[in-house]
Amino acid sequence: MASSDPISPSPAARPLSPHLGIYRFTLTMAMSIGHRITGAGLYVGALLLAWFLLAASMDASAFAYFSGFIQSFFGRLILFGFTWALFQHLLGGVRHLIMDAGYGMDDPEREQMAQATLIGGFVLTLVVWAIGYAVR
Amino acid sequence: MSESDKSLRSPLGRARYLGSARRGSQDAWLTHVSAAALVVLASGFVLMLLTLLSKDYNGVRAELGHPFPAILTLLFALVATFHMHIGMRSIILDYVHGHAREWALIANICFAGAVALACVYAVLRIGFV
Repeated sequence: MASSDPISPSPAARPLSPHLGIYRFTLTMAMSIGHRITGAGLYVGALLLAWFLLAASMDASAFAYFSGFIQSFFGRLILFGFTWALFQHLLGGVRHLIMDAGYGMDDPEREQMAQATLIGGFVLTLVVWAIGYAVR
Repeated sequence: MSESDKSLRSPLGRARYLGSARRGSQDAWLTHVSAAALVVLASGFVLMLLTLLSKDYNGVRAELGHPFPAILTLLFALVATFHMHIGMRSIILDYVHGHAREWALIANICFAGAVALACVYAVLRIGFV
């Protein structure tokens, strides 16, 4: 942060109220930050979607290059991670939409929804990948 | 909540005055609407991808050349890039300060726009060229 910069002068160092250091780490907290992290991962992973579509729109050798990558170990690893991030973020988003509407904030729904998000994310990922391996 | 008996406006609409930024609630609304749409679109797109796994280059192009898969892909790409742009905007506004802030916000729009246009170009090229 520039201290001599007129646009954004550095703020005076004042004591902050503690946050990360004092709160007990809960599943609801983890699902919330996981929602943001998976969202950021999907943001980068959108390049994979664009690459796939562009490769299909070009000639066969361009598509073969994409196919070779996505079928390699590294490619499958990335795709698996992307699939998990997608379902984790999707279920987390549903959970946040429910809570934004005002429901599910008390015990036991609060904890149950967080658990359902985590478990559901893994289950959906494994189901989709099992189907994928079965049909290819 | 007795006011809700008399007023046709939602509690959100009846919030008084504007905050210091004069805007912001439309971000939340657009996030929610795009998220709800993406539950359907993303699920549909994943199902479509599963049908593409058994196909080769020509099979994939044939499938994406048909109207329903093409429109589903376009809708998914456009709504997803829009949704991801708003999400990343929140992340930038939370964590990036100082001079990098404006550049990061501009880069966010450019990235989301470039990905969106790349997908649109690819699908249209498959369908029409």
